[in-house]
Amino acid sequence: MLGLFKRTTPVADACELGQSAVALPVRTGCTVPPSYPVVIVDARGSTRRAGAAAAKRVELRDGELAYAFHPGPYTVDLLPYAGAPEIGLRTRFVIGADPGATHQRFDLYLSSEVSGRLGLDALAAAAEGALQRELQDGGLDLPPCASIEEWNAFRLGLNELLYMRFGLTVDDCVPVDLGDSRDYAGMLVARARQVQAAQPAAAPVAVVVPAVADVVEPAILDARAVRRLFLELPCLMCGLRLAALPASPEQFRKQQVLLQRLDLLSVGANAMPTLGLAAPGQALGLPQQLRRVGHSRRAAASLDEAWALLARLKGASPALLTSLYDEAERIVTNLETDCAGRRAAEAEAS
Amino acid sequence: MKSAPMAAACRSLLASGATLNVTATRRPRAGRADVKCTAPDAGLAERMQEVVRLARHTEGRFDSRDQVVIGIDAAPAPHERDWELAVVLADRMVRGVWQGPAQVLANGWSDAWQLGRIDGHAVDGPEGALLGGPGGLAHLGQLSGHPDPAAAVSSARAWFPLHAGGVADSLCWVEVGVHPLEQAAEDEQTIAVPGQDAARQLAVRQALAAARHFDGRNGAGGRWRTAVRFGQPHFQGRSYELALVLADRIARGREFLPRGRLIATGQSAAWHAGQVDSVEGLAPKCALLLRDALPGDRILLPQAWQDALPEGFAQQLRALGASVACVERIGII
Repeated sequence: MLGLFKRTTPVADACELGQSAVALPVRTGCTVPPSYPVVIVDARGSTRRAGAAAAKRVELRDGELAYAFHPGPYTVDLLPYAGAPEIGLRTRFVIGADPGATHQRFDLYLSSEVSGRLGLDALAAAAEGALQRELQDGGLDLPPCASIEEWNAFRLGLNELLYMRFGLTVDDCVPVDLGDSRDYAGMLVARARQVQAAQPAAAPVAVVVPAVADVVEPAILDARAVRRLFLELPCLMCGLRLAALPASPEQFRKQQVLLQRLDLLSVGANAMPTLGLAAPGQALGLPQQLRRVGHSRRAAASLDEAWALLARLKGASPALLTSLYDEAERIVTNLETDCAGRRAAEAEAS
Repeated sequence: MKSAPMAAACRSLLASGATLNVTATRRPRAGRADVKCTAPDAGLAERMQEVVRLARHTEGRFDSRDQVVIGIDAAPAPHERDWELAVVLADRMVRGVWQGPAQVLANGWSDAWQLGRIDGHAVDGPEGALLGGPGGLAHLGQLSGHPDPAAAVSSARAWFPLHAGGVADSLCWVEVGVHPLEQAAEDEQTIAVPGQDAARQLAVRQALAAARHFDGRNGAGGRWRTAVRFGQPHFQGRSYELALVLADRIARGREFLPRGRLIATGQSAAWHAGQVDSVEGLAPKCALLLRDALPGDRILLPQAWQDALPEGFAQQLRALGASVACVERIGII
């Protein structure tokens, strides 16, 4: 669609699959062993699984990309709080398949957020970010001296979050002391040195010249964010229909309104204007482009929040539903604001 | 959980001695800008808007349904910047991000609001005022006791209830700041407790040293130079110990963080085993906690209190948005 994901993929080392890499792109004509599922992403971003033959020979049409992934299990240490680096959660997960679903969440993750190789570290960092964000916003609770009931509630929430957001099924999760591998004292010393080193450099007034790399980078970030909006909004709507069964006529109306607004957003994302053009044939200045990039990235962050909210909606008690619907309204309003900002060629007058 | 108020107010002292009133109100956005500032002079309003928008970068959650209108009633001199903290706090209060005491007086300025850092203050306020800068409020997260994620000194606060005969009951904070040492030294000698008498200093040192021993990391002791400060210089008893120990664990990055403040009461005869013993004053302290708890707060009480807690105590706290647990020992789970 955007020409961004058409770059030729480098030849990857297939041996790391299941160790340091979760998914690797495969080229047409490759043969993949049967234990590795193959996801094919077509030019419009929709996905399908390659047939379950004994050994699959990947045949791709024009514009298609294929990924082979290893279902795991993988073990990673997630930090629940950035401010507490000496405790982690040792989490073991697999990439499970939901036999009832027509589209697997992990396939969507591959198609909308991954370009090229998906390393285990990248996946763990993304999961850690989602976890930290939920803990900060109050979607999940893991307070000091958590009791066993609080821990169990947290575990359920974490399972739902990682499944909804990434399609990962958590097998096991235990708190661990990372004091032996991560040294907070050492990190603070390094931070102090950094601050000291930054001070003399900051004294003369530096003229910031945007390097070529900085100009290119926002365009890629924007393209990724818009791709996510394009691919994920329809799936979010689908998820909202399934996860949030309304408890009263009032909530049913609310849900209908939300779905309608998401629908409009989705249509808008399909017709998002090019980053660099204010009007056909009329270029847009760099500051305005950067403003647009800011909006599209915030919209992508709202998508993350929306997935986390779906995870909370699933199995929420009727008493909680009211506040969760309010949260959904907030997220949809934020999405609308940011999509409108991304579309506008000029900043709104304040 | 209580919903955010529609209006909030905050005050700040000017260099001339006059008081500046900051008022913030919230209304549906209806396509307008997220922040609107009114001030006697247009340049000032522009700077106010800039400060508020920068300070919002430290929040993870944004809500574009509301417009916040912030106004100030006097014009500070052009070089004066102490009003900045009051404006930021009013903006947070009106959106329910932070709930302060009824009459907040705040003075402070910063060159890096986007990092949540507060660099200093020019005018000294009276007792109870929030003053920005080192020694006072150095970081916005400190309002709920969290360490500054960008500072080289990690310091965390926890609160403990002080029972002083009913009306004067209050929450007092204890702050533990840890500074990494290049060379390991004996734990107890590196713990400083300024402003306290010798007996309290000894008690604090022993409690911290024993609680660090509980971590069970051989050879990892003595990595820190520690400073402990209390919100009030004079008080009786040892019920601050649990708050102290937990603040130390948070400062050293070894404890889960509460969303709001951490409020704890408890002592121990065996910190090296992580054990938490009972303390006196259950009824007045519970009443105080119900009065002063804010959304997001985490309250920790000794296990022995579990059966004697007033009827519906946990439910009432949950309705406020706080959570409570009775603990037998410290540590993860």
